[in-house]
Amino acid sequence: MDAIFIIEQILNGLGYGLMLFLLAAGLTLVFGIMDTMNLAHGSLYMAGAYIAAQVHQASGSFVGAVLAAIAATVLVSWLLEILIVRRLYPRDHLAQVIATFGIILIADDGVKALWGPSPLLASMPTALAGPVQLLAELPYSAYRLLLLGAGLLVAAGLYLLVNHTRIGMLVRAGASNRAMAELMGVRVDRVFSFVFALGAALAALAGALMGPISAVQIGMGEAILIPALVVIVIGGIGSVRGAFIAALLVGLVDTAGRAFLPPLLRAVLPPALAADLGPALAGIAMYLLMAAVLILKPAGLFPARA
Amino acid sequence: MKRAPGWLARSLPWLLLLSLALFPLLAPSLDLDYYVGFIRHLLIVMMAATSLNFILGYGGMVALGHSGFVGVGAYTVVALVDGGVTSAWGAWLAAVAVAGAFAAVIGAVSLRTRGVYFLMITLAFSQMLHHLAVSLSAYGGDDGYSLHAPLLLGVGLDDAHPHVLYWVVLALAALLFTFSCRLAVSRFGYALRGIRDNETRMAALGYPIYRIKLAAFIGAGAVAGLAGALLASHNKFVSPSVMHWTESATLLVMVVIGGLGRRWGGPAGVALWLTLAEVLKLYTEYWRWPMGLLLVLIVFLAPKGVVSLFEGPRRAG
Amino acid sequence: MSLFSADGLFKHFGGLVAVDRVSFAVEPGEIHALIGPNGAGKTTLINLISGLLPLDAGRLVLDGADLTGLPPYQRVRRGLSRCFQVTSVFGADSVFDNLMLAVQARAGSSFRCLRRRAAEGSLRESALALAQKFGLDAALDRAAAILPHGDQRKLDVALALATRPKLLLLDEPLAGMGPEDSAQMVALLHRLRTETAILLVEHDMDAVFQLADRISVLDYGRVLASGDVASIRDHPEVQAVYLGTEASG
Repeated sequence: MDAIFIIEQILNGLGYGLMLFLLAAGLTLVFGIMDTMNLAHGSLYMAGAYIAAQVHQASGSFVGAVLAAIAATVLVSWLLEILIVRRLYPRDHLAQVIATFGIILIADDGVKALWGPSPLLASMPTALAGPVQLLAELPYSAYRLLLLGAGLLVAAGLYLLVNHTRIGMLVRAGASNRAMAELMGVRVDRVFSFVFALGAALAALAGALMGPISAVQIGMGEAILIPALVVIVIGGIGSVRGAFIAALLVGLVDTAGRAFLPPLLRAVLPPALAADLGPALAGIAMYLLMAAVLILKPAGLFPARA
Repeated sequence: MKRAPGWLARSLPWLLLLSLALFPLLAPSLDLDYYVGFIRHLLIVMMAATSLNFILGYGGMVALGHSGFVGVGAYTVVALVDGGVTSAWGAWLAAVAVAGAFAAVIGAVSLRTRGVYFLMITLAFSQMLHHLAVSLSAYGGDDGYSLHAPLLLGVGLDDAHPHVLYWVVLALAALLFTFSCRLAVSRFGYALRGIRDNETRMAALGYPIYRIKLAAFIGAGAVAGLAGALLASHNKFVSPSVMHWTESATLLVMVVIGGLGRRWGGPAGVALWLTLAEVLKLYTEYWRWPMGLLLVLIVFLAPKGVVSLFEGPRRAG
Repeated sequence: MSLFSADGLFKHFGGLVAVDRVSFAVEPGEIHALIGPNGAGKTTLINLISGLLPLDAGRLVLDGADLTGLPPYQRVRRGLSRCFQVTSVFGADSVFDNLMLAVQARAGSSFRCLRRRAAEGSLRESALALAQKFGLDAALDRAAAILPHGDQRKLDVALALATRPKLLLLDEPLAGMGPEDSAQMVALLHRLRTETAILLVEHDMDAVFQLADRISVLDYGRVLASGDVASIRDHPEVQAVYLGTEASG
């Protein structure tokens, strides 16, 4: 295990973390403002991945594919919000869980009908398929660098949006004290429609970008949803800043766990045991992180509500 | 206080039990052999759902990790069979104990949180169990583990005989259902519902809230473990997918569509959900979306579950 | 020796000191009234004593037993009970089921899960006796949520009394009651004094002067004065901060 390997893994972890952040940002705002648990957020991510892969293949333009994925997913989410999610705001978490789980089932079958049951092959843009020489000894995937850049760019944009614009102020007001915001004349329902669409756009972007380096398949939304939920719980429900920090933490812990734990364990434990324990510990690392954070700070690292 | 049920309502459960008991004998002549296994599966899932309904419906604890305990029960049987155990009762009992022990630890931690944090932490624990199972290469890891040798039930019977296992499962399910009905009107059941409805007042009345909730959580986990053990015998196969979070969500869904905190809620929800899936699968490979649509409709049209549609204005019991 | 003593109770929320080194005692058989303007810390004090809020500092002793740091349910077992300023009953359940739940809390283990509770005659009798004592026997089958306000308040007190406390904490039992209901409740509290000592938080001064043996006045989280009814009525400082505003308003 040399320094190059470690740097590479840290970069991978940050990239994964930034993609988690794209998912978690929308989720945490929806949760924070409308107290609504949306399990179907992962389905929007899946939609983004499928549409981007399809458009990229058909047109050859990766940028066009990403934009198309975002536009189409926002459209779908807009329908979803009007038809179903809007009616779920006043309901309890259980009803929200049930209905949005229903949406997952519908979405999975919809994708199956459109693209078939087998995974889709999403290719990288050819210009970015090769490695870039970051340091003399460190070649790194150009595409993963794009992921890092795009993730940071969006995070910065979101920061400016939430902290330095009028709509951002309304969003923050809604997240920290919804009743008060309503009394002061904020049309919370409009703010929420905006936030839901924004969350969908970010989820679609994450799906489109992750497609080429993960499997584009049915169920990918359900798989990524859980880490995203872990992120928003660690960060503090409703806090975008918390989601950012927590996403990077989870990305690093998860990637580092998978990369470093197995060799470390092999060094100190009998090989058979290490072979079993390594992946298990790596898989549960982020949940342990969450449990530890909740024990120390029950409302997450950056509670949005006082 | 409550209107006494008529003779029809009183004898209905017994008629149901009788017809279920006779079903394997009649099935061959009706060409319904396949459905013996289907109903056996249904009965096992009903046990898991009934245990979840107890903490969710009566206790108000929205846990999204119940399939974790089903998995613990199933893997306990795998571990024992792999280690050479041949007694079905021994293996099943051990599964109950081990799942109960896991529930004790997980509940002790999770019940210190509430609301959505409780939901998330129970989910996190079941994900940990899932990862643990995936990494158990001795038991097949991701590919799962096949149980080849039958487990012995005593008096020369074993769980490989499809009808014998069916009757054992039916008897256990009936016992459990009877017990859950009694539990609901016992001191413990009332205390649990009191905590669900007004926790502060219950604390002020002198109820040990945390201990009561934990006891319910452990009991529910142990019963889920039994369901998992029976599932292992039923399928003769166990894989980590029994603990996937969507399995927990499906259990939750079945309880809610059946009727939260209603004694028939668990069985009705399981019967409706699994039968619907079975029927839809006969006609189309796209059987999930109608079920998803059903969930959305139930949330908006029958939020108290399908059982409530058959009740008069009477309150839940 | 006093039945109950609170010694140096202290609680702050962030920078706000809600209860500032409050000490007082309740004698056996006494009705001790706690008065003070809104925001003086009375309800916080009740929550601290009953254990729903953790103390920052101070000591609570009831009948020789140290309650400090015990969870609420163990305080109840040692003889402390309370009712709530905002009526806190089980709204969806009948009055009878409400009382059964309260009686059950006192009667041994709530972990019994095989016996039908309805078959337990002794619980039933205790619940019915309680209903009679509070004049609720005509409303046994009605859901608590649809009772008239006065009856809900009575039920709240009945639930608290079901645990057979040595000290009963009553947080504004007369709040929102009309004159008739008030008079009934005052008469009821009079009868209860043979069973339990009472710490009474109340705004209705007529009722306080009628019922209380001793009065402590709380202002800005501190005990301003403590003494018998006459001495509090005539206390100049008390009149200034509390009774004065009451009289002019």
